Amino acid sequence: MPQSRAYIWFVGPALLLMFVILLIPILIAGGLSLTDYSLGNSGASFVGLENYERIFTRSTYEKMFGATFRYVFVVVPLTVGLGLGAALLIHSLGRFGDLYKTIYFLPVMAALIAMAIVWEFAFHPTIGIVNATLERGCGTVLERWGWYAQGCARTFPLWLNDRDYAIWTVSFIGVWQGFGFNMVLYLAGLTSIPPSLYDAAEMDGAKRGWDRFRLVTWPLLGPTTVFVVTISFIRSFQVFDMVEAFYPQGGGPSKSVYVMMFAIYEKGIQQNLMGIGAAITVVFLCFVMILTLIQRWFVERRTHYV
Amino acid sequence: MHSAATRLRRGALMSQISLKSITKAFGDTPVLNDVSLDIEDGEFVTLVGPSGCGKSTLLRILAGLEAADAGQVAIQGRDVTAIRPADRNLAMVFQSYALYPHLSVAQNMMTPLRMRDLDRAGRLPLIGPLIARAAHRKMRDQVAEVAETLQITPLLDRKPGQLSGGQRQRVALGRAMVRAPVAFLMDEPLSNLDAALRVHMRAELSELHRRLQATFVYVTHDQAEALTMSDRMAVMMHGDILQVGPPNDIYLNPASLDVARFIGSPQINTLPGELNGAGGLDLLGVTSDTRYVGTRQAVTVGLRPEHLNLAQQGRLSGIVRHSENLGADVFLRLEVGGAPAPVVLRAAPADARGRGERVAFDFDPNDALFFDANGARVMVPNAAREVA
Repeated sequence: MPQSRAYIWFVGPALLLMFVILLIPILIAGGLSLTDYSLGNSGASFVGLENYERIFTRSTYEKMFGATFRYVFVVVPLTVGLGLGAALLIHSLGRFGDLYKTIYFLPVMAALIAMAIVWEFAFHPTIGIVNATLERGCGTVLERWGWYAQGCARTFPLWLNDRDYAIWTVSFIGVWQGFGFNMVLYLAGLTSIPPSLYDAAEMDGAKRGWDRFRLVTWPLLGPTTVFVVTISFIRSFQVFDMVEAFYPQGGGPSKSVYVMMFAIYEKGIQQNLMGIGAAITVVFLCFVMILTLIQRWFVERRTHYV
Repeated sequence: MHSAATRLRRGALMSQISLKSITKAFGDTPVLNDVSLDIEDGEFVTLVGPSGCGKSTLLRILAGLEAADAGQVAIQGRDVTAIRPADRNLAMVFQSYALYPHLSVAQNMMTPLRMRDLDRAGRLPLIGPLIARAAHRKMRDQVAEVAETLQITPLLDRKPGQLSGGQRQRVALGRAMVRAPVAFLMDEPLSNLDAALRVHMRAELSELHRRLQATFVYVTHDQAEALTMSDRMAVMMHGDILQVGPPNDIYLNPASLDVARFIGSPQINTLPGELNGAGGLDLLGVTSDTRYVGTRQAVTVGLRPEHLNLAQQGRLSGIVRHSENLGADVFLRLEVGGAPAPVVLRAAPADARGRGERVAFDFDPNDALFFDANGARVMVPNAAREVA
């Protein structure tokens, strides 16, 4: 044999695994989304794009997109912003930096199911610490704020069980849980900025902190930011365990917290409607794919320096 | 080009930098011990010394990027010890060049002008150039002029990542030159370049200094750079300035053994000898005449390789252990009886001998430098070589 086939042994295992555990399941999901298959049924009939048509027309799924995008567009900017802010503050600290790093990173490491129970107590309308604290403020200047006066007069919001507040409360917990992760990524990005650039900026007359941030810190964190934003988007699209812990039955008050992952779980697993579950999965994968392509574009175009 | 020179000259007219009793320690490690240095207007002063001698720290203290524990920095007669770097009106070229990687060459060079000459509105992206149109045009002209001087005009639109080391070095110089600073501070700017380019840039920096007639403060560990470029050099070791003076003076007339050893390549030969107090020098069993009169004392005799010459009738002899051919000169490394280390001698290629051969050589005692047990120079009156 003149030509060595050794390369097959190098590439083969990775290729095989990629097909078996990634590509084939995705193709199967794509196939299932065109049927009305449900687990246990011997056969399934081909329904074409009916499942997709449902996703984009029925009000349940409209709520699903509403909840998902509300969550994503609150959590992503806030986790990125707070992550960067916390990283900048910690980076400027000498002594207690490690302590703060640990504190802010704790929620990332904690099991979200356990944390959900704690938050559920905290947000409990009558015995929760949040409303109890708010009630203490009644009768003070805070009552000048209309919303606060209303809360004192009647009751403060039910938070997790109020249709108007639930998704924002869940988003708040998502931010609390997620920004520590971005902070760690930004801290790594900050340590990789050569200190001589700050010296150069000072010599060039960048006197104010904001000037140095604009001239050095922010541009050099560009690659980090692209990564952080992408990963935050994907993580936010994937939110599931918190919703499952708070609302095991059906996605919150009037389905206001009916996020995509929960919808997949409810349709595909709880109601055994594999076809529609697979269709939502495919839509979800498309979102992730678009985000990844945008990230690639940024990495190659804008932030590629050296 | 001309106006750049005159602009810089005007800005630098009464420039005088004075460092007084600068002391600095990093934790328990002393870095600078009571160092003082005065730099005249338009001078090219080099701080030279081995790594860790505190030369870069001294430069950073002068720039204001590091705060001295004690001492005073004055620029043009004004005490700037407590003034931040941006307000000291100095420009600096860094060893790593420290170019902003996301900005083009032109934008990099424009940054010092943007930061100093534009207000906040004028610095805004997109609409800034519309608000402060005249200021922006002036800045672009200044950048173009400096780029022309440094021959980097074709590079103006590139990013630093697309440039070679030598080109980046020029851009870093350009960024320093667009303003008219009191002085240019350079922290080992050539050490990241390859050997050929380094020699070339040495000549170019000297030329630039002549043209700008500005004050240069240059830090290097390479004694060759210090010798070739500077008007005056300050030799630093262990946080002290050992000697300040013109390169030739320091080379021929070092104040101490440390300076003599550090300046000159190959290194000066140091041999144990004795001044016998009656005008004689005993060295390797040979007695020569010197003008030294005084107490009899053991000394270290310093003889530079070019002060040893091959001679048929030479009083000293040694066996060639190694020869280094540099084309114009050959350096012979000789094993000499009684000498603790090999003796290096410079010879013309025609006279050089092969390995293992015994050669005779001699020296003029007036060329010899004497150092006492503490490494301090023992001065010999009226020595022919005395310059100072």
